[in-house]
Amino acid sequence: MNDISTWDVVRNLLDGVLWTLGLSLTAFVLGGLTGLALLFARIASTAWLRKLAKAYIEVFQGTPLLMQLFIIFFGSSLIGLELSPWLAAALGLTLFTSAYLGEIWRGCVESVPKGQWEASASLALSHFEQMRYVILPQALKIAIAPTVGFSVQVVKGTAVTSIIGFVELTKTGSMLANATYQPFLVFGLVALGYFALCYPLSVFSRRLERSAHGTRAH
Amino acid sequence: MALVRIDGLHKHFGSNHVLKGINLKVERGEVVALIGRSGSGKSTLLRSINGLERFEDGLIEVDGERLHAGQTNLRDLRQKVGMVFQQFNLFPHLSAGQNVMLAPEVVKKLPKAECESIARAMLAKVGLAEKFDAYPDQLSGGQQQRVAIARALAMQPQVLLCDEITSALDPELVSEVLAVVKTLAAEGMTLVMVTHEMRFAREVGDTLVFMHEGRIHESGAPDTLFTRPRTPELANFIGSIH
Repeated sequence: MNDISTWDVVRNLLDGVLWTLGLSLTAFVLGGLTGLALLFARIASTAWLRKLAKAYIEVFQGTPLLMQLFIIFFGSSLIGLELSPWLAAALGLTLFTSAYLGEIWRGCVESVPKGQWEASASLALSHFEQMRYVILPQALKIAIAPTVGFSVQVVKGTAVTSIIGFVELTKTGSMLANATYQPFLVFGLVALGYFALCYPLSVFSRRLERSAHGTRAH
Repeated sequence: MALVRIDGLHKHFGSNHVLKGINLKVERGEVVALIGRSGSGKSTLLRSINGLERFEDGLIEVDGERLHAGQTNLRDLRQKVGMVFQQFNLFPHLSAGQNVMLAPEVVKKLPKAECESIARAMLAKVGLAEKFDAYPDQLSGGQQQRVAIARALAMQPQVLLCDEITSALDPELVSEVLAVVKTLAAEGMTLVMVTHEMRFAREVGDTLVFMHEGRIHESGAPDTLFTRPRTPELANFIGSIH
């Protein structure tokens, strides 16, 4: 089996990087949209909506991502739905991401001073108008850095999906390690791949954090 | 008919009975100053008038808009009631002009050009015509509070509520804000204000309402109340601030 060249290894790993990137982007975009809905539910005036969103967040933050993936992947086949590893992975990571983003963003919304709610309420703005024109623009500024920071967690979280058979970077790596008998080289390259994806994000996040603190509020 | 009518208002904060049956009428063009010690319920009463505080019992009516206990639809009422806060509460991400334009544009759905001319007129009224494009953090406290007044006026409220609007200001900035309020009063604006500026309350107010332990303890013409308080509590209060 040693007719696999280093170039073959790198080429296959690069393919894996693309799948990891694709899964991360999918989870981040869909998770962001779901997280936004969760945020609105979490601060809604309807009590049952708030409780439902809270329960959702508790469940997905309080259990390992791996268990969530198992339950989605194996559970779906129990009820007769054959989800491909890709679909199960995308669904699992989306749910996971939405729970965290919803909660991060709620914190940002709640850090906007109460006086902003009162002033906009006294001007007769509805709840959604308050959010759209007054609260979210201010919360967004606070949210950018922790959101980009969390995206690093999403990228690393995709590694777990290799266990349900989705062929991303880690899965590609283990298959190559088995074929080449060079696990140290292969997994070293795998780690390098993750680092190449995550490092720019964390640098970006740090820079945003600094500029959010250093500049004026508008 | 009175512009603002408050009937039998009761409010609790937990087990604390903060408003114990308030009855109050405010006529159109009247300037009412609410005075009293902290904790007497004057701010809570003021904040009830535009629904920022819920109440358990009673009725508030402003220019025909009724507000019942537990009511959640406040949009019509709030369009008739403007409010200015102690901490200004300007929107920091919007310029002074945008702060003033926001509600006419979003709530009244007026065309943008019209909102802008309203905003310019209102800022001119409070003496800040040249600050249309300035952001709140570029303005002094007194200027911010004047923008906040312009913002409330842009909705053409029937009554303006002022909640200790000079308490957060440096002493030298108080007079510019009071001058604006005085002009509004002279133009016939109906005002209900919680204030610690007794001299101002006496000068501008038509009616003084002294609150004590959740009740209206005494009310009437400012001069009468200041010179001939009928209750020892009011005499005491006046004595303590002079």
